[in-house]
Amino acid sequence: MASPDYTSLTNNELIARLQAMEREQAGFVQELRDVKAALDEHSIVAITDAAGKITYVNDKFCAISHYPREELLGQDHRIINSRHHSKEFFRDLWTTIGNGKVWHGEIKNRAKDGTFYWVETTIFPFLNAAGKPQQYVAIRTDITRRKADELELQRVATELAEKNKELEAILYTVSHDLRSPLVNVQGFGKQLARACEKITAATAAARDGAVPAAALQQPVEETIPQALRFINAGVAKMEMLLSGLLRYSRLGRVALTIGPIDMNALLAGVIAAMKFQLNEAKAEIRVGPLPGCLGDSAQTNQVFANLLDNALKYRDPSRPLRVTIEGRVEHGHAIFRVADNGIGIPREHQPKIFEIFHRLNPEATAGEGLGLTIAQRVLERQHGRIWVESEEGVGSNFQVSLPAS
Amino acid sequence: MKTEPVILIVEDDEGHAILIRENLIAAGLSNRMEHFRDGQAVLDFFFKSGAMPAHEAGQMYLVLLDIRMPKVDGIEVLRRIKSDPALRKLPVIMLTTTDDTREVDRCHQLGCSVYIQKPVDYEKFAEAIRRLGMFVTLMLVPPLNGD
Repeated sequence: MASPDYTSLTNNELIARLQAMEREQAGFVQELRDVKAALDEHSIVAITDAAGKITYVNDKFCAISHYPREELLGQDHRIINSRHHSKEFFRDLWTTIGNGKVWHGEIKNRAKDGTFYWVETTIFPFLNAAGKPQQYVAIRTDITRRKADELELQRVATELAEKNKELEAILYTVSHDLRSPLVNVQGFGKQLARACEKITAATAAARDGAVPAAALQQPVEETIPQALRFINAGVAKMEMLLSGLLRYSRLGRVALTIGPIDMNALLAGVIAAMKFQLNEAKAEIRVGPLPGCLGDSAQTNQVFANLLDNALKYRDPSRPLRVTIEGRVEHGHAIFRVADNGIGIPREHQPKIFEIFHRLNPEATAGEGLGLTIAQRVLERQHGRIWVESEEGVGSNFQVSLPAS
Repeated sequence: MKTEPVILIVEDDEGHAILIRENLIAAGLSNRMEHFRDGQAVLDFFFKSGAMPAHEAGQMYLVLLDIRMPKVDGIEVLRRIKSDPALRKLPVIMLTTTDDTREVDRCHQLGCSVYIQKPVDYEKFAEAIRRLGMFVTLMLVPPLNGD
């Protein structure tokens, strides 16, 4: 609309126009105020001059940065630099806004109290008539929580990938271990069939029903009993593997009740439950004062019962068994040491002992090769750990760590 | 000097060892065979002085090696044999239930001569061992150097 010719208007007309314009302006100002209030309610806002000196900050900026307004005004944004981003990152930012373009990005800042916060940032340059930036308005949103969630998500994804790999390894091991007895069941089953054929042939060849004993001796006394022995052992092995696998898989589903554990009482209970076997072996058990820890008492009980059972199983028959159980607290973890004077584990075999179904001496002792695998799994679920130091012929030293109570 | 290699069956499963031996004999092999129940036992045979039994200088050997065994597994035994200058030429045949391609690759990289999977089906198992037996009779096995 073309501007009216003010010279042709009367005074009253001019006054009416002026009043209308003032009303309109007041409306604009109110609208701007409302928008600014809404912006301040949602965003962290700062304005800087062309050189980057802070000329305005809103309350949210002060609150998140923990700086009072007077400490921010006149400073530049280096005051909240977290040193997380590279020089190139900020160079790119300044080149963009210096050229009059809008910059978007995520920035990690450091508050006055040393804590860090993440902001999603838009920097908008205000240009003068020559197209040069006069000042910059930065509008930010707190995304610290989202960043933390992203990190957590990453951590969980890595953990899942590890668990998956572990599961794959178990599946691989188990499928191999199940195949081995199957080879025997099939192979010796075939031998049974052959023995049957021999007996049938001898029976058919026998006149007047009298089968010569010599023809039966080998199948009946050797082939058949041997085949049955291997078939039965194979079936028993498969049954053991399957029930062990079920036991292992059930572990992951048991709900844990994490709480403070009095380890002195727990160990006393474990030892009392094994009193008969320990007395049989004339074992000497020494338990030092133990620090408390945080864990599931039933599952932790199982771990220590298992370690004591191993100490009994792998004791050196040439000397009486001595087990020492001690504890200490290091960096927020209670560490328990179960040391025995048993046969020990050669260094090269030590990495294998936590592997599922792995047994170092399958002939010498009974067991399914699950005890330490389960101990490790149980402890991992309680943010604990187990490891071994051992010397062949001297003894083994198992250490268990759990969060201190 | 003996002209046939001694076959070392390294196998933790006694049943498998019997089936392998019987099928090798059925294939017409008359070689001497020794059974080792785990990887450590066969490493002792080659590397430990004063071990019983121990290897003899000038004797030819052929190793049938299972992978998953207590104490020391077959991969480690293979690695030790192939990194020893005196034993490097020893033919090693992996004979195992494992058919994981990564495992097969690893054994070939370490220098195994042949990799055979033990079939669960007994007819196939017997056939694999029979063919292995025929193959062994054709192999030229270098004798071990003196220590």
